[in-house]
Amino acid sequence: MSQSPQQRTPASNIPSTPGRRQFLKFAAAGGAAVVLSSAQGTAWAAPAAGRTRSYVLVVDGCRPDEITATLTPRLAGLRAASTNFPAARSLPVMETIPNHVMMMTGVRPERSGVPANAIFDRAEGVVRDLDRSTDLHFPTLLDRLQERGLTTGSVLSKKYLYGIFGTRASYRWEPQPLLPVTGHAPDAATMDALLAMVGGPDPDFVFTNLGDIDRVGHSDLTGTTLRAAREAALADTDVQVGRFIDHLKSTGKWDTSMVMVLADHSMDWSIPTNVVSVDLILQSRPELQSNITIAQNGGADLLYWTGPEAERTDGLAAVGQLVAAHDGVLSVNRPADLRLGVEAGDLVAYCRAGWRFSDPYVVSNPIPGNHGHPATEPIPFFISGGSPLVVPGTVSSEPARTADVAPTIGTIYGLKAPAGGYDGTSRSSALRL
Amino acid sequence: MPDSVLLWTRVTPTPESLPGSGAGPDVSVRWEVSADSAFTKVAARGTASTGPGRDHTVKVIAGRLAPGTSYWYRFIFGQEISPAGRTRTAPAAGAPVDRLKFGVVSCANWQAGYFSSYRHLAARGDLDAVLHLGDYLYEYGPGEYQARDVLVRPHEPAHEMTQLAHYRRRHAQYKTDTDLQALHAAAPFIVTWDDHESANDAWKSGAENHTEGAEGAWSARFAAARQAYAEWMPVRYEPGGQIYRRLDFGSLASLSMLDLRSYRDQQAANGTDAAVTDPARTITGAAQMDWLLGNLKSTGPQWKLVGNPVMIAPVRVPSTLSTAELAGVQKLMGGTSISGVPYNVDQWDGYEADRNRVVRHLRDNALKDTVFLTGDIHSGWACDIPADPASYPATGDSVATELVCTSVTSDNLDDILNVPPRTGSVAVENAIKAANPHVKYLDFDSHGYSVLDVTAAGVRMDWYVLAERTSASSGSTLSTSFNVQAGTGKVTPAQGGLQ
Repeated sequence: MSQSPQQRTPASNIPSTPGRRQFLKFAAAGGAAVVLSSAQGTAWAAPAAGRTRSYVLVVDGCRPDEITATLTPRLAGLRAASTNFPAARSLPVMETIPNHVMMMTGVRPERSGVPANAIFDRAEGVVRDLDRSTDLHFPTLLDRLQERGLTTGSVLSKKYLYGIFGTRASYRWEPQPLLPVTGHAPDAATMDALLAMVGGPDPDFVFTNLGDIDRVGHSDLTGTTLRAAREAALADTDVQVGRFIDHLKSTGKWDTSMVMVLADHSMDWSIPTNVVSVDLILQSRPELQSNITIAQNGGADLLYWTGPEAERTDGLAAVGQLVAAHDGVLSVNRPADLRLGVEAGDLVAYCRAGWRFSDPYVVSNPIPGNHGHPATEPIPFFISGGSPLVVPGTVSSEPARTADVAPTIGTIYGLKAPAGGYDGTSRSSALRL
Repeated sequence: MPDSVLLWTRVTPTPESLPGSGAGPDVSVRWEVSADSAFTKVAARGTASTGPGRDHTVKVIAGRLAPGTSYWYRFIFGQEISPAGRTRTAPAAGAPVDRLKFGVVSCANWQAGYFSSYRHLAARGDLDAVLHLGDYLYEYGPGEYQARDVLVRPHEPAHEMTQLAHYRRRHAQYKTDTDLQALHAAAPFIVTWDDHESANDAWKSGAENHTEGAEGAWSARFAAARQAYAEWMPVRYEPGGQIYRRLDFGSLASLSMLDLRSYRDQQAANGTDAAVTDPARTITGAAQMDWLLGNLKSTGPQWKLVGNPVMIAPVRVPSTLSTAELAGVQKLMGGTSISGVPYNVDQWDGYEADRNRVVRHLRDNALKDTVFLTGDIHSGWACDIPADPASYPATGDSVATELVCTSVTSDNLDDILNVPPRTGSVAVENAIKAANPHVKYLDFDSHGYSVLDVTAAGVRMDWYVLAERTSASSGSTLSTSFNVQAGTGKVTPAQGGLQ
């Protein structure tokens, strides 16, 4: 409790309304200011009493075995008082953007259009991140709940996540300050924003990404300080989660709150010699190499045939065979078998545990911590909170997945399934309905 | 199965219809399955025929039953009504299951003592099933293998079983044990065989305890052993089929029962034999390996239990033990050694390529909650299965766990060293645990049984030990308990267990 800093979050003014957004500035910890935005005309008044608040906290890249009573006491305490799903897993491709999209849509990438962080955009002829609001082709909880008269918020630490979800939530925080290299806001700043949002407009539902744990996994290129840095990040993120819980309790909101904690994927570490370069594998076959474009996603490579159509079938068969023969490659899959759409290209290669892809060049991916491959599927996933809706102190065998978030939150608010239904499953066993 | 159970009995229609005799008429036996012990709510009934062709044993699949339900069954032959047995159907596929409780046993040598373990398990009344991981009976004759040098109860026939009639008579003798009868009547058995159901250290084309020619052809002996097993055991296996199979218990657990005798290559000569790492050698056979890896997956039931007749965790015996200790461990673990240091080439240790296939599969796919349930080694163990034994001491990375039940009666280290229990073996246990940091619990001396408790939160094994295996009325006490918490892939002492 003592870790929670003194905080005031009064609405101060509405400084400007550029474009179709309006902004509101809130005081945050240490005298900093948090600026939230909303669609023009959105009310800033607190909603009616007697409702259920729900929060999804994504501890980005956290492995379930990293939540322990000694290292992350607040998360461990929340989990102990939750309905916990130890068999929970991330879904292909085990990357940040697609799994956040699955959480908010409840559907697999074949329907949302978002299969990976990085894809080859055939129309533009470039490999790029799926960080545009227009990349996402399916309604999300953030907009669908508003159609039921509820308010939603997004507090996303990563620039590309803010990019893809854009202005869908009623209230948004645009992540800042962004750290160089990682392109994310530190968890302390993200938590300032979440507290400002809950203390201010107080939406019915808030979607939050805490990026530090993941970013530490990626950013230490030498790997020498990795364990210490990772543990420091886990401990700090735990403090931030503690601030949030303390805030809910001290403001009397805990008793009406459901807090869902999960990760989008976990993390696997490789040594510098355990690198797979598909480009290098194909060097001996220039006619294949020149016709393949690679979108590298850490532990997964998305391969796109860009050669003559007449040579596609034989060419892809040959590429698949060559890549699968590499010691570090676990499998080469057809995107449809992983329920990925055309955006994922023609083949998806997974590496083994302890390996990583580095394409287009062997030096392209120097970072030891990666995800995207099946070794990074297990995630923490538990539903906690003070709301009487939450079933506490239970462990479930159910195979929870990231795509289950939207249907589960939807169940709380009586939201109908979207057209075509959810691909995920409502984990209503965690709820007293 | 969720909708059916297997019922077993044997009928003796005429005085000459003795086990193994091949004599007596074909007869029909009526059976009933009831939702209550008084048989007022009969759910299924029928008639089964048997005769000397199957040694007058009766096996019935009673179907159209409700899932996750206890039933009572009995047989009727003429005016005779058999005692009633209790059985239970598995939960429906995918259904939520709060808890499963299994008895876990192996290695019951008639000549080495009494089956008090079975009696204590039968008395519990809380078991969903009993897992018998092999060595349900032994092939030896009196004087060949007993309780140290004491023959507690002589085998019948009074010589090694090598032919169909011998195997049938030995099975029949074991089935006369009242403690075993009580346990069969109390809970359904889920069984697989290890080597002693045929002969010691059996492999696909032979066995250590088989002399080709003098004891006939191995193919004929193995076939006879299997036929008698199919006749006398409550198992759906029939000759020509396969005994390895998977059973599911709702969304909570699957159970893959392995056959590690029918498809394995011959054991390597010793631990430094290049055959140990030869990728062409197998303990499972290719088809069973594919099937096993297919069962170990992220979809389907949470806990992936594996009924595993011989240990999969790597075990290195330190050379610092005394000559007598090394000799004792060698006798317990198997017959090979280098410079006096034993290496069990009959376990997965002797088939490293197959073990690596399993470990890599679990690691590459980050599969959680796989637990190997093992017998064979006449001792209690709780182990992590290291992702890499070399780096395990530093990383603690474990892909699965292994829980090993001790023998019901068969000799173990104190018996071999001829010392009192918990004296001479303790130093050996400590030395082996020090040399194998993934081994968290080891009891080389006790005889008894285990109880496995399975919930979504964790798997717990309780080891119960007998006061005296050579006493027909031996009591049993809880020795220790270990947990495998969901998602961790590691064994930890349970409350009340060893610290």
